[in-house]
Amino acid sequence: MYKKILAAVNEFTNSEIAARYAIALAKSCQARLSLVFVAEEGINKDVFRHAESALERLFIEAEELGIEVESITEKGDPFNKIFEIVKKDKIDIVFTATRREDIQKRFFTKTLAREFMVKLPCSVAMVRVVRMGRMHPKNILVPLRANMTNLEERACFVAKLAQGFESTVTLFHSPSPLTSFFHGEIHLKPAQRERHIPKDIEQFTECLNRYDIHHEKKTGYGSVSRSITIEAAHRRNDLIVMGESERSLLRSIISGNPVEDVLRETPCNLIILRPEHEHR
Amino acid sequence: MKIQNLSKEEVFKSLVTSDRGLSEEDAGRRLHEYGLNEIKEVRKRPLYLRLISQFTHFLAILLWIAAFFSFLSEYLHPGEGMLTLGIAIIGVIFINAVFTFIQEYRAKKALEALKRLLPFYVKVLRDGKEKEIHGREVVPGDMIMLSEGDKIPADARLIKTSDLKVNNAPLTGESEPMLRNHEPFDGEFLESPNIAFAGTTVISGSGMAVAFATGMTTEFGRIAHLTSAVEAGLSPLQKEIIKATRIVATIAAVVGIFFFSLGFLIGRSFWENFIFAIGITVALIPEGMLPTMTLSLAMGSQRMAKRKALIKTLTSVETLGAVTVICTDKTGTLTQNKMAVTKMWTASDGFIIPPSPPLSKGGNNKSALLKGGERGLSSYEMLMHIAYLCNNARFIDGQYKGDPTEVALLKVARETIGYFEAERMQEIPFDSDRKRMTTINIIPPTPPLEKGGGGGFVVFTKGAMESVLPLCSHLLIDGEKVPIDETLRKKTMDAYHALMDMGLRVLSFAYKEIGDTPPPIPPPQGGRAREGVRPEEVENNMVFAGLIGLEDPPRPEVPEAIQKCNEAGIKIIMITGDGSRTAVAIAREIGLIKGNPALIEGHEFDQMSDEELRKKLLEKEVIFARMTPKHKMRVVSILKDEDEIVAVTGDGVNDAPALKKADIGIAMGISGTDVAKEASDMILLDDNFATIVNAVEEGRAVYENIKKFITYIFASNIPEAVPYLAYILLRIPLPLTIIQILAVDLGTDMLPALALGAEKPTPGLMKQPPRKLKERLLDLPLIIRSYLFLGPIEAIACMFGFFYVLYNGGWIWGTMLSVNNLLYLQATTACLTAIIITQIGNVFACRSSKESIFSIGFFTNRLIFAGIMVEILLQLFIVYHPFGNKIFRTAPLSLDLWLILIPFSIGLLAAEEVRKFYSRRL
Repeated sequence: MYKKILAAVNEFTNSEIAARYAIALAKSCQARLSLVFVAEEGINKDVFRHAESALERLFIEAEELGIEVESITEKGDPFNKIFEIVKKDKIDIVFTATRREDIQKRFFTKTLAREFMVKLPCSVAMVRVVRMGRMHPKNILVPLRANMTNLEERACFVAKLAQGFESTVTLFHSPSPLTSFFHGEIHLKPAQRERHIPKDIEQFTECLNRYDIHHEKKTGYGSVSRSITIEAAHRRNDLIVMGESERSLLRSIISGNPVEDVLRETPCNLIILRPEHEHR
Repeated sequence: MKIQNLSKEEVFKSLVTSDRGLSEEDAGRRLHEYGLNEIKEVRKRPLYLRLISQFTHFLAILLWIAAFFSFLSEYLHPGEGMLTLGIAIIGVIFINAVFTFIQEYRAKKALEALKRLLPFYVKVLRDGKEKEIHGREVVPGDMIMLSEGDKIPADARLIKTSDLKVNNAPLTGESEPMLRNHEPFDGEFLESPNIAFAGTTVISGSGMAVAFATGMTTEFGRIAHLTSAVEAGLSPLQKEIIKATRIVATIAAVVGIFFFSLGFLIGRSFWENFIFAIGITVALIPEGMLPTMTLSLAMGSQRMAKRKALIKTLTSVETLGAVTVICTDKTGTLTQNKMAVTKMWTASDGFIIPPSPPLSKGGNNKSALLKGGERGLSSYEMLMHIAYLCNNARFIDGQYKGDPTEVALLKVARETIGYFEAERMQEIPFDSDRKRMTTINIIPPTPPLEKGGGGGFVVFTKGAMESVLPLCSHLLIDGEKVPIDETLRKKTMDAYHALMDMGLRVLSFAYKEIGDTPPPIPPPQGGRAREGVRPEEVENNMVFAGLIGLEDPPRPEVPEAIQKCNEAGIKIIMITGDGSRTAVAIAREIGLIKGNPALIEGHEFDQMSDEELRKKLLEKEVIFARMTPKHKMRVVSILKDEDEIVAVTGDGVNDAPALKKADIGIAMGISGTDVAKEASDMILLDDNFATIVNAVEEGRAVYENIKKFITYIFASNIPEAVPYLAYILLRIPLPLTIIQILAVDLGTDMLPALALGAEKPTPGLMKQPPRKLKERLLDLPLIIRSYLFLGPIEAIACMFGFFYVLYNGGWIWGTMLSVNNLLYLQATTACLTAIIITQIGNVFACRSSKESIFSIGFFTNRLIFAGIMVEILLQLFIVYHPFGNKIFRTAPLSLDLWLILIPFSIGLLAAEEVRKFYSRRL
């Protein structure tokens, strides 16, 4: 369970929306929340003012919900400062928002978001906000793949978020299409596809059951990223939660990167979770 | 809290904005964060990559290798014609790639049509000042000012409204204006009256709204996303082509490698073996198959266009023939969308069939109208007056104009009571939430003056039973207002159900007199114009006058078309916005259902899991009632999951994703929106269901014809391959050169094959079930017939021609001839001519796999004769023209050789007749 949550805030509204997801999780986990703004050198007054007002609004919102919250404003390099806070305060998970220009860079190279995802010594939830006014999900779409690591934490994260928003969960698995040389792609009926659902998704289900979260399972078909975005658009999901990509840069170049593709084309808000926190 | 639940202040807090709107600086930052408010295409595999892939599939790679070795041979052994061959093989690759690409490529214009629905400029508040900005620059948090005629640029939460009505047709398909308000709403997002959606239009009134979603994240963007991202996948024919080409290419490669190795073992030189390997590969690959197929599909699409079905994607021509389920709308497709009043009911008269008896008393009587139930108009007269006055249709210049339902009501009322005038003071328009329309009319004084000689105000309401009856306290019976008790309520409901069971759309009518003084009008709010009488002020304690049942008659050709579908094993699922009783009654009338169908209503549908829905869809007869276009895609997806080949009809913007998802998306040519037409595979020029069935029949004929010309083409592969086997095994000169093989495959065979593609549908084609998914285009009977029956006969003919020329020229077995030897050139020409002549017999044989050519009629397909004429002319050019001789390495033949070869063609046809005779008896 997350005890200490940090939300990185800046002058952009998407960081404020991302922090609201942190607030929802903090409330659900009864965790302590740190709202952190790190002002870079040479920042102009307006930017500072915007970020400060966002901090203030978030602080009030969190306090009203009875969350133990603190607001921190620092000066310096955002990554280094947050890294220090994470280490010093033993933060369990950091919420950060991606910027639009981040997703336009292939494989997020040289972005602050990637730096957070790769280097922070805690779990990271990277939030892509595309719908400002629809952050309360009725149903959370959770695409899952086989051989997941940190399964317990992933399930806990989804469950607590679902509790925070009183939403249901759809577990979604889209296996690669079966093909044969002479027959090309082999069409599988849903019942046949379900037989290909990996075992660890069952474990995920058990975790959700423990948290008493209403959920359903669905399978997709065809290209993984495309089937996720179509499912989200078709079902009018307001939030997708998926794991970070574990593909190497080389593999991403050769065979693509579904997480990156979903990040680019998501029809609703998206949280990419890199679990690191030891679930106890 | 969801956006529709929030108060105005909470909306501002949630979207970090205020009633002064955003500052310019903030808007700029948000534009940077969220991007432009525009519809974008979901990224897809670029077109150039799709074109490149046509040059890199298995068959193409095989041909590239063959071309490479041809060029290598030209380099090592110049002057043996391998350069021409190499160029010809590359030509084949290009021809096939381009033809396949044409089949697969489909212009994606649906998004362009969607983009046109978003506004160019919009008015917003920035820094507290009204400003006109480009629609693309609207950002979340922007305060949008809405007035009549405006297109809404983004999904926005209304915070101020004044009589604001919007047309949500692009999203919901419902063209009725929807009244909007700004109060928090507890229900579902899509049903929220406080949300204005991007792409919809303000019909009247004004309002202010805060944008909360822009561009692709709006509901409109969601449709665009699905329209752009959803793909039906490969058509059954495309899948079959992939399978067929892979099978053929594998056979060619395996045979080539096997005999290359065999030749090596029996001591042939590498060069001889090499020539053989390339030759056998080229011989076994039906190079002309894809171009012929594409041209045949194009011809099929032209035939369909003549039958009012416009095909947009070539492969859809064949997919239609494979359709197993048709999901069809009712209004306008199964029915004529011409409403007519067919039955009415009043408590006094019971059921009445119009035209009614002329009004005996009262009639067009304003004073009697005012008196209502107290010795005033009879129930029937009152019913007619309400139908006349609570109506927006008009009778202008001898023509009725307006909504089909309203026109039908006005017509019956006008024909019954004549012209009538009563000024309308106010209208509370119909909307799909209220499901009723109300007008307040001023009835002018009429001599003899009653009630002190003055006029009066009367409220008239018409709408759905569930909406109108609860407003009524009395029922009009024999001119008297009788309080409604349980018995009367039951009597009314029974009448309502009886009309519904007749397949009628039923409307309820009520009225209320409110005396000489106008109803109270609330004071103006916020400096805006007065809003008029509130519905709740007047829509109460009304008098129920009666019911009118309207029929939208089925199209006359529909029952027969449905019968055809039943015989053809095609399931038809009706998806309609009408109530279930009306839907069932119509379905029964047109023969769509016979037993008790699985009936699913919209609200039920939303609650059902995919599994539950799947089970329902498996039932024999299925009807979806009270559905909206948004439901269609789910139905289509589940049917496709179950291996069905699905055709779906649609006309609205919201139908576009389902049209894209279906194997065959069918848009309505008359009533369809541009978006639906662009997203579809086929457009019905007459909106008629029967046209779909005609197209299905044509599609089945196309598939049958494709099999016919594949048999024809494949049969000629054997006489092309046998000379190579003879060359390697019998140590004789090569009887047929590779370039001569290409002359057959890409030249002489093409037009006769195309003529086979134009064969008329076989009788009984629509009495067979749809072909199974497991049924192969290249099935075993086809392979046996072409490779082991027709092909060998042709092979005997071609080898006979070859040896006949050689022996007559004094050739001795075992002698090898140079490639420029005249005798050798004549012998190979004879071999080629034998193939051409036997293919003439073959084209007649292939017109049917079982029916005798004499029962089909020798002259019923005149294109065959045209094709044969062209085939002969081409062969004459190849044999007798010096240029043809040069390209194809041929030499002129004497006439007697042609005459010697003709019996082989007749023999092939005769042998086929015998085979067919036994085949029919099996």
